[in-house]
Amino acid sequence: MDEEDAREVELSTITAIYPEELRVDEKNPYAFTIELPVSLGKPVAVKFPAASEAAVPVTLQDSIPTGPSDGLLVDSQELSNLPSLQIQISLPEGYPHSKPPCVRISTTPPWLPENVIIKLEGNAEKLWEDMGRDQVIFTYVDDVQQSVDDVFGLVGMDNTLEVGPEHKIAILDYDIEAKRKAFQKSTFDCGICLDPKKGSVCHRMLDCGHVFCKQCLQDFYNNAITEGDVASVQCLEPNCASTREKAARATTPGRRRKPKTFISPSELLQIPLDQDKVKRYVTLKHKAELESDKNTVYCPRSWCQGAARSKKHKKPEGLEFAEASEDESDQEDTAGAVAGADGKKTKEPASKDLLAICEDCGFAFCSRCGQSWHGEFKYCIPKERKDEITEEEKASLEYLQMHTTPCPTCAAPCQKTQGCNHMRCFRCQTHFCYLCSAWLNPENPYQHFNTQPSGEVNSCYMRLWELEGGDGNDVGMAYQGGQAIRNPNIRPGQYGEHLEIVQGGREDEDSDSELDEEEQVGRPDAAAAPRPLQEPVQGQQPDRRVAIAREGPLVLRIEGNALPGRGRQAHRQPAAAPPAPAPAPARGGGRQAVNGGQRGRGRGARGRAAAPGGAFAVRQNNNNGVQGQQNQRANRDGRNNGQPVEHDEPLGQALNQADEVWVRHFVQLALNDQEHLIEGDSGDEDD
Amino acid sequence: MSAAKRIGKELAECEAAPPQGMKITYNESDLHRWNITLAGPADTVYAGGTFHITMVLPPDYPFKAPIVNFTTRLYHPNVTNDTLGNICLSILKPENWKPASRIKGVLEAVRHLLIEPNPDDPLETRIAEEYKNNRAEYDKNAKQYVDRYAKGDAKK
Repeated sequence: MDEEDAREVELSTITAIYPEELRVDEKNPYAFTIELPVSLGKPVAVKFPAASEAAVPVTLQDSIPTGPSDGLLVDSQELSNLPSLQIQISLPEGYPHSKPPCVRISTTPPWLPENVIIKLEGNAEKLWEDMGRDQVIFTYVDDVQQSVDDVFGLVGMDNTLEVGPEHKIAILDYDIEAKRKAFQKSTFDCGICLDPKKGSVCHRMLDCGHVFCKQCLQDFYNNAITEGDVASVQCLEPNCASTREKAARATTPGRRRKPKTFISPSELLQIPLDQDKVKRYVTLKHKAELESDKNTVYCPRSWCQGAARSKKHKKPEGLEFAEASEDESDQEDTAGAVAGADGKKTKEPASKDLLAICEDCGFAFCSRCGQSWHGEFKYCIPKERKDEITEEEKASLEYLQMHTTPCPTCAAPCQKTQGCNHMRCFRCQTHFCYLCSAWLNPENPYQHFNTQPSGEVNSCYMRLWELEGGDGNDVGMAYQGGQAIRNPNIRPGQYGEHLEIVQGGREDEDSDSELDEEEQVGRPDAAAAPRPLQEPVQGQQPDRRVAIAREGPLVLRIEGNALPGRGRQAHRQPAAAPPAPAPAPARGGGRQAVNGGQRGRGRGARGRAAAPGGAFAVRQNNNNGVQGQQNQRANRDGRNNGQPVEHDEPLGQALNQADEVWVRHFVQLALNDQEHLIEGDSGDEDD
Repeated sequence: MSAAKRIGKELAECEAAPPQGMKITYNESDLHRWNITLAGPADTVYAGGTFHITMVLPPDYPFKAPIVNFTTRLYHPNVTNDTLGNICLSILKPENWKPASRIKGVLEAVRHLLIEPNPDDPLETRIAEEYKNNRAEYDKNAKQYVDRYAKGDAKK
């Protein structure tokens, strides 16, 4: 019997005691490694001091652990598993009688302080001596094991342990992994199939910690998602949600929000469920959320009917729910409360909330009227109430129809109470003409009622003081011209889908009064000239104007008795013939032509009286405001998107052939949106 | 998840330790249908009565809740006053049922309903009103019902 045998005997004993933990070195049969897990009976608070503090790693050592300097230590984790010790032991020749075992201790990562390692390593020789130089390995390993519970004396009275911050991630990972392994090894009674199951086929619910076997969870969730019963995709433990809610309320009183009870898609994937199922779950869940919200607006396109984008219920992307912004909810609630209110006129949502964009097809539409987006200043009628407007609304619509003129910029209906026809919009401050709704140059708004710089005059020539007493029933007036321009489809008593509602009090009371002092231009003139223009006030003429304005996107207003050719040099567009042959794309093109002609005749007479000078004038009404408005109308009507052009020009009764041809050409080009080309053609342009 | 397996386990559990005051009988050929007799809990108006209950476990039990009915008529705010004997019990409602709920728990809840009616969530509003406002009348009626319907075993 010699040492050889003694080493062999001890090695086989140790191997039997630590069958899983021990690995024998391939090169040296008497060298081996024992992996000793550092699993703590009760979790210890592991602190990772900030780097500056870690530079002085003194607090850990010695038998008297000085309490870690708290205050600065914010980063603390409760852990019950620390990376295991690797005890490398080699039994040299002469062991156990003459030589002690050679012990090396290490950890990965090296979280154990050097001095502790040295002390532990030194213990081996000490023990060997104490035992009378005998086989010491088991005793030693057992001794190390015993000291694991207080982490080799590193844990102080306050049950904390400090570790360098550089090891933080590795240590946390180890703890998670150790817990996972422990979970997989343990056995659970699944509450559904009531069978005991190994942890490896079980799933611990992330939010509440209840454990079920994966098979049962898959069966149940797949079934629920297939049936569309997404509400039941929760923890399957009875009263789980309410218990957690109570607990949450106890710990954080004041917070009313319920803890999340549904299972996140990522957890379903972990269980695992099929991607398709999870996808369906996410989609259904989003849909259910939208449907339960009475404020949800849906896309008016019948083939789409998706929901409008909402900050509250974001469309989920991929397999994850989008984070909803809670703080928006109140605001949306108040805004949307209106949409649900029927009959009564309640406060309407702020116009910026009207714009809705479909989350599926991207269609931008008005959430109130369901038409494509028309800008925030337009008044529109709630979709669901189109067919059932109240008497009151009907009356105010008729009144608006009769006694207001829309602002060319923002379409706000303005009513003149007295004064001249130079108006300023109460909302956007645009200057405009009350008679024809034309935009006026703020620099010189009265120019419009006088001779143009070009020498021409327009249909409002000398009419600054028309309707001086105001527009409205109270003054026995009813001027419809401006309104007719704006709402060509409406005649009193006829309510189509383009009606617009204006709340009471919108009529402008004072927009013109402030202007009263400024104006006096041409008053004597107007008085001097026979006041010719009572027709629009008298009733028949407005009707005719309505008819004209209804012509659609391309409106050619030609009138006057001027001789062709005169205005030609003066203005960029030469004289025009009645646009009878215009190949208008809009339905009713023929009728338009007739109307145009009619009107031309009607105006002809008046034009003579109004403009005795007989100057041929072209009023270019093409400013931005009107243009925009016209576009709007065109879109709304859905007729076409051609560039609307409006000419309002007195016109000679006898037009020469050349002019007629030119007009046809121009109309043709305008329909193709190319009317600018004509300028190049006719060389005699101004500037 | 086989329903039969779980039902078998629950049956064994209930037979080994039956819920208080209950006796469970079943037909070997159909484990989805249980017949339970419940002795009216002492110190209640139902004391002395014997109540028959049927419990049908749906094919996809435990994913769906069992259906429990009193076959003995009963004067109670949460049990329909007719031959159907539907019971209003929160854990049996589809939205509250959890697969991890157990039959034994359900039966105990049914018994508890006799001890402590829940007039705030009634099936019979009139009886619930009476229970709340005229307890003496309620007690009298309930006892009358017990005498009339729940003493059947004694008569036979």
